[in-house]
Amino acid sequence: MNLSDTLLPKKINLNLKAKTKEQVIEELVKMLRLSAPARNTLTATLLTREDMGSTGVGHGIAIPHCRSLVLGRLRVVVGLSKAGVPYRSIDRKRAKLFFLVVAPPVGDPSEYLIVLGRIAQVARKLYKDRRLSKIKTPEQLIDLIKELEK
Amino acid sequence: MNTQLQVLIALQDILLLIRDSKDPSRKKQEGRIGFKMSNLKSLEDAQLGLEEQLDPDILKQYNRMKQRYGRVVAPVINAVCHGCFVTIPSAIHGAEDRDKKLYRCENCGMFLYWVEEQPILR
Repeated sequence: MNLSDTLLPKKINLNLKAKTKEQVIEELVKMLRLSAPARNTLTATLLTREDMGSTGVGHGIAIPHCRSLVLGRLRVVVGLSKAGVPYRSIDRKRAKLFFLVVAPPVGDPSEYLIVLGRIAQVARKLYKDRRLSKIKTPEQLIDLIKELEK
Repeated sequence: MNTQLQVLIALQDILLLIRDSKDPSRKKQEGRIGFKMSNLKSLEDAQLGLEEQLDPDILKQYNRMKQRYGRVVAPVINAVCHGCFVTIPSAIHGAEDRDKKLYRCENCGMFLYWVEEQPILR
């Protein structure tokens, strides 16, 4: 499974406004266009997951994730914060690149873990790639990810 | 959405997180990716906080379901209860108030939640 296959341009925000971890999660969840109750439930679950242990994996990358009943299928949302956000990451550095991964509890649970693993792999390459700072559109980001996945 | 159903859904999500965090293979897989899953107490606190928001009758049913199945809410996908995979009667599935009232599956007894976004069938 390729990560680029799960990405949609309208689910990529290259200019996140959030300044805190909570705001980042809220901003990313909003992009899923769920009803207000579903959105609130999903945000709360993601924040509870963060309380258990930060999903900031270091090198400026965070992958907030959870499985939630409010979703019908696996969804991935990408966000980029130019200034970075304090995220309690393992290396204590600010997180700039965010991949929100949410999946329903039904269906193939391995698909969710495969996507998480794939994102962690690609995100590290992506963050080191100098072309990331020159990305202007979501389509360009998807093309770059496609190239890194080859 | 029915507020009690919203609490039940949040609880089910937490129960799932607790189950995942107690599963050694799951923990190992997430650890390999670079995620920490250590503060189980925060999950248990969240669970207790949500349970306190349930009406006494619903809490009783919730405890029964949790003990029996380990989960309490079943998603309804394409008119099928994904707790027991039995088709939901059309009178309930087609009810206009299905999101406002709390419905339980007539077969397995789980609380029903109509997933907003239906999965793409492959």
